[in-house]
Amino acid sequence: MIELTIDGKRITAEKGDTILQAALKNGIYIPNLCYDRRLLPYAGCRVCIVEIEGQRKLEASCATLAKDGMVVRTDTPKMRKARQTVLELMLVHHPLDCPICDKAGECDLQDVVYKVGKSEGRFIRHRREAPADVRGPLIELNANRCILCGKCVRICDEHQGRVALGFIGRGFPTSVQAAFGEILECDYCGQCVDICPTGAMLSKAYRFEARPFFLEEKDTICSFCSVGCTLTLGIREGKILRSRGKEGTGVTDGNLCGRGRFGFDYIYSESRLKTPMIRKDGVLTPASWEEALGYINDNLKSIIDHYGPSSIGAIGSHRCTNEDNYMLQKFMRNVIGSHNIDSSAAFGYALVEKAWEMAFGQKNHKIDLKSPLNKDVILILESDPSITHPIFGLNIMWAKRKKGANLVVADSRETKLTRYSSQWLKIKPGTGVALLNGIMKVIIDKGLFDKEKVSTVAGFSSLMEVVKEYTPETVHKITGITEEELTTVAEIFAKAKSRMVSLSIGISENTKGLDTVLAAANLINLLGDSADSLQIPAEYSNTFGLYQVMRLIPDAVPGYKLSDRSGKDVLEMLYETDSLNALYIVGEDPVVTFPNSSKIIGRLKALNLLIVQDIALTETAKLANVVLPASSWAEKDGTFTNAEGLTQRLHKVVSATGNSLPDWQIIRNLSQTMGEDIGIKHLEDISEEIKTSLESHQPSLPSGKRALYPVHYIPGEESDADYQLSMIVRDVLHHSGSISTRSESLNLVASEALLEISEQDAERRGILDNSYVKVSSRRGTVYLKAKVSDAIPEGTVYVPTHFPHGRVNTLIHLPVNGGISIDAVKVEPVKA
Amino acid sequence: MAEQQQYRANLMVCAGTSCVSSESFRIKEVIEEELKKRELEKEIGVVLTGCSGLCAAGPVLTIYPDGIFYQKLKPDDIPYLVEEHLLKGRPVKRLMYKIPEKRAAIPTMMDIPFYKHQVLRVLRNKGLIDPEKIEEYIARDGYQAAAKALTQMTSEEIVKIVTDSGLRGRGGAGFPTGRKWELGLKIEADEKYVVCNGDEGDPGAFMDRSVMEADPHAVIEGMIIGGKATGSHKGYIYVRAEYPLAVKRLQIAIDQCHEAGLLGKDILGTGFNFDLEIYQGAGAFVCGEATALMRSIEGKRGMPRPKLWRSAVKGLFDKPTVLNNVETFANIPQIILNGADWYRSLGTEKSTGTKVFALTGAIRNVGLVEVPMDMTLRTIIYDIGGGMKKKGRKFKAVQLGGPSGGCIPEEFLDIPVTYEAIEKTGAIVGSGGMVAMDDSSCMVGVAKYFLDFTADESCGKCVPCRIGTRIMLDLLTDITEGHGKEGDIETLEDLSHDIIATSLCGLGQSAPNPVLTTIRYFRDEYVSHIRDKWCKVGVCRDLATFYIDEKMCKGCGLCLKACPSKAIIGEKKKPHRIIQELCVQCRTCYEVCRFKTIRVLPAAARMANEAELMELAGQIEAWAGIEMEEVE
Repeated sequence: MIELTIDGKRITAEKGDTILQAALKNGIYIPNLCYDRRLLPYAGCRVCIVEIEGQRKLEASCATLAKDGMVVRTDTPKMRKARQTVLELMLVHHPLDCPICDKAGECDLQDVVYKVGKSEGRFIRHRREAPADVRGPLIELNANRCILCGKCVRICDEHQGRVALGFIGRGFPTSVQAAFGEILECDYCGQCVDICPTGAMLSKAYRFEARPFFLEEKDTICSFCSVGCTLTLGIREGKILRSRGKEGTGVTDGNLCGRGRFGFDYIYSESRLKTPMIRKDGVLTPASWEEALGYINDNLKSIIDHYGPSSIGAIGSHRCTNEDNYMLQKFMRNVIGSHNIDSSAAFGYALVEKAWEMAFGQKNHKIDLKSPLNKDVILILESDPSITHPIFGLNIMWAKRKKGANLVVADSRETKLTRYSSQWLKIKPGTGVALLNGIMKVIIDKGLFDKEKVSTVAGFSSLMEVVKEYTPETVHKITGITEEELTTVAEIFAKAKSRMVSLSIGISENTKGLDTVLAAANLINLLGDSADSLQIPAEYSNTFGLYQVMRLIPDAVPGYKLSDRSGKDVLEMLYETDSLNALYIVGEDPVVTFPNSSKIIGRLKALNLLIVQDIALTETAKLANVVLPASSWAEKDGTFTNAEGLTQRLHKVVSATGNSLPDWQIIRNLSQTMGEDIGIKHLEDISEEIKTSLESHQPSLPSGKRALYPVHYIPGEESDADYQLSMIVRDVLHHSGSISTRSESLNLVASEALLEISEQDAERRGILDNSYVKVSSRRGTVYLKAKVSDAIPEGTVYVPTHFPHGRVNTLIHLPVNGGISIDAVKVEPVKA
Repeated sequence: MAEQQQYRANLMVCAGTSCVSSESFRIKEVIEEELKKRELEKEIGVVLTGCSGLCAAGPVLTIYPDGIFYQKLKPDDIPYLVEEHLLKGRPVKRLMYKIPEKRAAIPTMMDIPFYKHQVLRVLRNKGLIDPEKIEEYIARDGYQAAAKALTQMTSEEIVKIVTDSGLRGRGGAGFPTGRKWELGLKIEADEKYVVCNGDEGDPGAFMDRSVMEADPHAVIEGMIIGGKATGSHKGYIYVRAEYPLAVKRLQIAIDQCHEAGLLGKDILGTGFNFDLEIYQGAGAFVCGEATALMRSIEGKRGMPRPKLWRSAVKGLFDKPTVLNNVETFANIPQIILNGADWYRSLGTEKSTGTKVFALTGAIRNVGLVEVPMDMTLRTIIYDIGGGMKKKGRKFKAVQLGGPSGGCIPEEFLDIPVTYEAIEKTGAIVGSGGMVAMDDSSCMVGVAKYFLDFTADESCGKCVPCRIGTRIMLDLLTDITEGHGKEGDIETLEDLSHDIIATSLCGLGQSAPNPVLTTIRYFRDEYVSHIRDKWCKVGVCRDLATFYIDEKMCKGCGLCLKACPSKAIIGEKKKPHRIIQELCVQCRTCYEVCRFKTIRVLPAAARMANEAELMELAGQIEAWAGIEMEEVE
């Protein structure tokens, strides 16, 4: 700690702080425009200059280290004059755009000039007059208003690693543009929009919508991925107009991705459900709540009578709150008397939990968003956290760029992380298990582990047996990487002082399975690391919470029927014929997002009763007998639990659309209609119950006992003469799940299910870039648009499953026995 | 090594900037043709050297071993020269140098006043060796210093000798080189760099260029020693791309050093590794700034970094870096060989040694000079520079330090050209650009010229430089075009001080210097431009009216013939007259007239009638301005 004096005030600061940082930490304001806490000092605006006793020149406080005993003055007449001249010069060519500039009212330039600037300028010159650049989606560049503080360029480079903006030209005519002055093509994360101190970088979606002082700002948690950033929403007259990240807010300190910034408008999609609907004469017709709930009551009771409660199942939602999901499972167990309840987590987080219990004897796996920052070696396996969990991905990238960590990325395609990696292992898709086994063999052979200790772990000898087969030659044959690459990564990893492995697993990916998680756990156990060296984030905003809450068995209350405790899971409910008669689907769209769409459609059509409760008329809802309109995430209170296990409150920021209601209320009302007292009246009641259930029904303390479960590499679906290409399913940056495809803003960037195909494969088949192709697997056929790409290996195609119109999941098969589910497909050009 | 040709004479043809532009390459071709014709090519060697120094006399040829200096050669002179001097042994007097007022020819270089007053240390090899032959450099004690430093001295000893010599950075800042090297030595790091700044961005400066073209090995040797001193094993020479010959010669020199084992691994068997790489600039003056230069080598945009990270600690590639100018490095080998005291024997206590200047402007002997730092401006301009070139013109000011420097008036001519003394005047020694101006220069125009340069070269990062220089340029342009207003001088001064106080790097911090010094010493010119709309020397076209004083005009017709707009009328031997409506104020008549008859009147005079004009003209006579001598 050091001490210094600023304007006569004695303050303390940490060694290494700049004068500006020391001042801001102690509540002393020194005007500044080009400083940001996340970026290296730039010292370009010259507004933060201060006088240091004993030094002749004025110094920029953002770029001068605070020293013990320093005496600093921020406001002498000499400095005031110099600072005023700087601001005066900044304003000479600045356009008089305040009346039409979205930034007016929250503009840093306005604020600083108002505080410390002059009221008159000596120089009258032509103001800049270039037209606004609105060619690209979501972000507009107004070069006229730019004061060249460089923050957008720097945040895109230093922070986001995308480097999409740069300075073009020199001196006075310098301007900030995308490369070669072309349309800005980037991640559209919007960090530049939030950081710009003037109206130079603005959100197109928010253009001319409101003055900031008319906006009411409310915070809530983002509904997309499981990082759980806090969004500061700007609301005017009951409508959300924008979303921004506010410094010091939430788990990511005001950093957001493009989905968080621009994707909120999915709640204004035209497909929003405003009223309950009942299928009458084959057509879904609007009905009242009374009618709809009554209909459900009648039908459910009939089915219970004829077939029993266990013929009824429910699917919960990763984008519904803990309270919603708790209500659903309590309804099923208490009111219906069935334990058939599951969710999309079955394809992802449930597998993680299963592996965790097996390998580590632990439950409730949480990640630590900041953990990559103190690791020497990071291994990312066939995943792209900079797409699936962007802020987690940023931390991984910073660990390499700012802390010098060794970032090893094993991936079949080029991603942002492979570009920044220290080592890119270009493995064939889905071969992660072989790679991990190969690494373990090298570690075992070279004795880079504590053999004495590890040999006492259960399964050690069978691990040795299995892993023995994964010689470097075998690994090369399976994965394609060389012996040298394999040994290098194994040694680096084993010899690291601190290390971690991370991968993602879930319903929208098909290159990892339970086996992959077990293999990774084996590696961790082999090296004797603690379980949190393996970090696998829960997929979506409330996957973690959903999984926890669904496992709870509520306390015995009057009328609680506890018969058969083991219920059917999603695989049984949706894929096995005659397993159910009625299905209650809340906030999920299996027809679009679950594997093997045709099978699911068949199953759903065969049901006697399909109830779908969602915010929009999804493809699944279109098959329902009854559709119930739910309120969106912004229209209700509740909690989400993120991948770190942190439960955060959502706040109702706008009123419910149409006649929709929060999911938990619908379920409460349904219970009432069915004449059952579910014991919940208000939201707080649910919170209470969840709390007590979590505490009292904690399953026996995890044993913490490690075990090794060796697994073999099992390839995905074999390609053959008919189905030559391997189809890899991966997310695209601008979408998360399928609900984001209802956002007009995000669709401006990506609205088509593009099939990425390599140049060689495209040429061989006569497929042109941006043309339509017919894609078939052994399970079905869909039509997609092709994108010829040099980022993917020959013999593969890459597709996302976000888009309902793409219906890519028609082609996908269910993963079997822990293996991966890569599909073999045929791709042909569509003849005009 | 190559076969040693035993020539009985060597013809050193100067290939410096100025001589090349007056066709010295052609001279060399003609010499070679002539030698071949007479079958002399095995006896006589022809060498292209770097700048010989006396650029005003180019093309220059020096013949050794005689040391005879020939100047202003034309291709037609060559056959006679070869015949007379090389075959008959009779040096050709009419091709030798003559002092203008005297008739006698001065045959040898060092007797020529221009050279006599100089002390060639950095420039000692210029014109004497073939810069593309390492053997010739070695023959003149080349690499002796490097050998001594690597085999007999420790890094600390090297740093001490440099510190004791008092050598200061010759790039302009004048920072004590020894202290910089000491900082570089003290830092512990796995990788350190030595960088040579050969960007030489000052317009009109060609000191570093001449050193790199004439004696590239001096720079390399200095860098090797610098590497040993600081513990660096890799160096970069940043040369501006506009110096392709310097790049070529440096690369040849580096390659020859590799062959000779003077660069690379285990130099001279000492175990010391050091290698050099040339990096070319891309046309930005700001990349002469140390931190911007390093960014440029890193492949990034050339913008300076705040001093939060001192280059000695975190410079090139974020590693400790010592950066010095070409001339600074070129001084090092001799300091090592001859000692600190030897170096200090010239100059003053605080400004030791010699400095190379590019002496240009309105003087007779323009060229490259190297003088002890205690020499006065008067000696340089008159004894070396030969005084004002144009007959009848008087000295007005000398501009030192390029766009970062200032204009010094006559009253300071007797100050030594030391860092301290020059700084007191408001100018700086800078990298060595010295432009002498006579009384036909417009000082406001000079300020505008330099500000035009700095405004264009500003990198754009910081507000005061990017916008401030532009505003100042606007003001100066307005003043020179007749739109100056009351208060402009004060605004210029005020803005200058704020820009100096707040700019991020040296470019902005020194850009206002030419303006401040010209206002300080030539304020009346600014007043005349602004208040009277009158550029008294006729440079600013919008502020000048040219008028022939009919009382004085002899009717010789020179101006009439010269006028490009045919705006002058008059009969032979009768007074001529300028038709103002046709005159474009090009100043040609003013420059060709030998009889002191053309007056420069204020702009408003264009509208005046004859009587008013005569009166105004009479007033100018009284103004103690131009006093031209009549030429017969």
